[in-house]
Amino acid sequence: MLTIRDVRKSFQENEVLKGVSIEVEKGDVVVILGPSGSGKTTLLRSINFLERADSGTLDWEDIHLDLKHASRKDVALIRKKTAFVFQNYNLFKNKTALENVMEGLTVARKVPKKEAEKIAKEALDKVGLSERYDYYPSQLSGGQQQRVGIARAVAVNPDIILFDEPTSALDPELVGEVLNVIKTLAKEGTTMIVVTHEIKFAQEVANKVVFMDGGFVVEEGSANEIFNHPKEERTQQFLRRILPDYDYAI
Amino acid sequence: MTWNVPFMYETFLNTWKAVPTTLKLTFIPFLISVPFAFLLAMAQIKKVRFWSRFAQGYVSFVRGIPVVVLVLLFYNTLPGQLAAIFKFFGSSFNVYRQVPGITYAYFIFSLTAIAALTEIFRAALSAVDKGQLEAAYAIGLNAPQAYVRIIFPQAIAVAWPNLCNLLIMLVKNTSLAFMMTVKDITQTAKLGAALNYCYAEAYTVILIIYVIICLILEQIFRRTERYLNRHLVK
Repeated sequence: MLTIRDVRKSFQENEVLKGVSIEVEKGDVVVILGPSGSGKTTLLRSINFLERADSGTLDWEDIHLDLKHASRKDVALIRKKTAFVFQNYNLFKNKTALENVMEGLTVARKVPKKEAEKIAKEALDKVGLSERYDYYPSQLSGGQQQRVGIARAVAVNPDIILFDEPTSALDPELVGEVLNVIKTLAKEGTTMIVVTHEIKFAQEVANKVVFMDGGFVVEEGSANEIFNHPKEERTQQFLRRILPDYDYAI
Repeated sequence: MTWNVPFMYETFLNTWKAVPTTLKLTFIPFLISVPFAFLLAMAQIKKVRFWSRFAQGYVSFVRGIPVVVLVLLFYNTLPGQLAAIFKFFGSSFNVYRQVPGITYAYFIFSLTAIAALTEIFRAALSAVDKGQLEAAYAIGLNAPQAYVRIIFPQAIAVAWPNLCNLLIMLVKNTSLAFMMTVKDITQTAKLGAALNYCYAEAYTVILIIYVIICLILEQIFRRTERYLNRHLVK
């Protein structure tokens, strides 16, 4: 469905992506793993043009774009087909939970207000926030804010949801509630690309795992392949450090 | 020294009539400066070629000049310049007769207001988290929608206390308008004081009037600030 080829991106002297390609099929849950600074987030942000890649192509059904030279119209088109969940939620601070979720519907997609409100309420109900419609972000906990963030993404019915470390900014005890919501979406067949450090979660939901390091894709494959039979030395090293220790026989 | 209380009462009534002039001298330059300051601030935020540096240069230069110096300079040179221009184009327009002093006051106070307001807008806009704009783009808003619906409402709340500060500063600066023959409260009081030799009384009266105007402004801003910040936890 979506293919990104040979994405390169530098920040000043620092080349963050050195030719990365990924492919996503409908219904895929692609998890991108890798150490800090490996370019995971930049890759994700290049897909919906929050970051403008230096080169690379994007093919999506009948859309074929050059990532560097995509026109404003093309960018708008891709952004309407995707949704993005941010590490630090980025809820609109001047809007209530319900208004946050409605914004993409009423303003960007011209959905009538009544209908948008209905869709937004359903989305908030789905993430367990039916009691919080009229709360401002500053009145919600981190976990609740991120769930509104997910509701905002789900409400616009995107073809793909991009998750950028959705639980990294959360207190440990709030991580579960957010992961559960994402798991539910995954089970329903939502196509998503998830950058995360939550290995257990990745093992559970991913049907495809991409391991990145130093601006390259080191290894990719099914969750089983990557977690249980990693081929590359670098992948093994990373997983050894990050996987829980219960593998030890006592 | 005894205080001439009836004179104070009379001065109060007289100067009170000049309050609208003082308010005009405050708000007209303020309103004139809003669009200019907004564009200059946006030029800096968006790093627009030339204009961003122009804005920076303008702010640095103008805020370093005492308002009195601007008044002395422009009020003494500008009419002559204008007259020369009109003459050059063969117009019979008499600048000295037909352009009242208050026009120069509006012009000069606008210059200083633009400099101060540009800084206020720039600070407020950069105080809004970059993620707000990204989130707006990510859900499909275009740039104008993102700014009008998400960025500006948050920025104005940040700017509000500074706007109050600026307006109070502008109110106080208007007292220099007497140098341009404008009959504001200060000028009215000065005349009364000189006629009756009651300086302490006249100036005490306008001191009180200035404080009253500023207190009222402060109250208005304090109440609206609460509304603008309703999205923040109390």
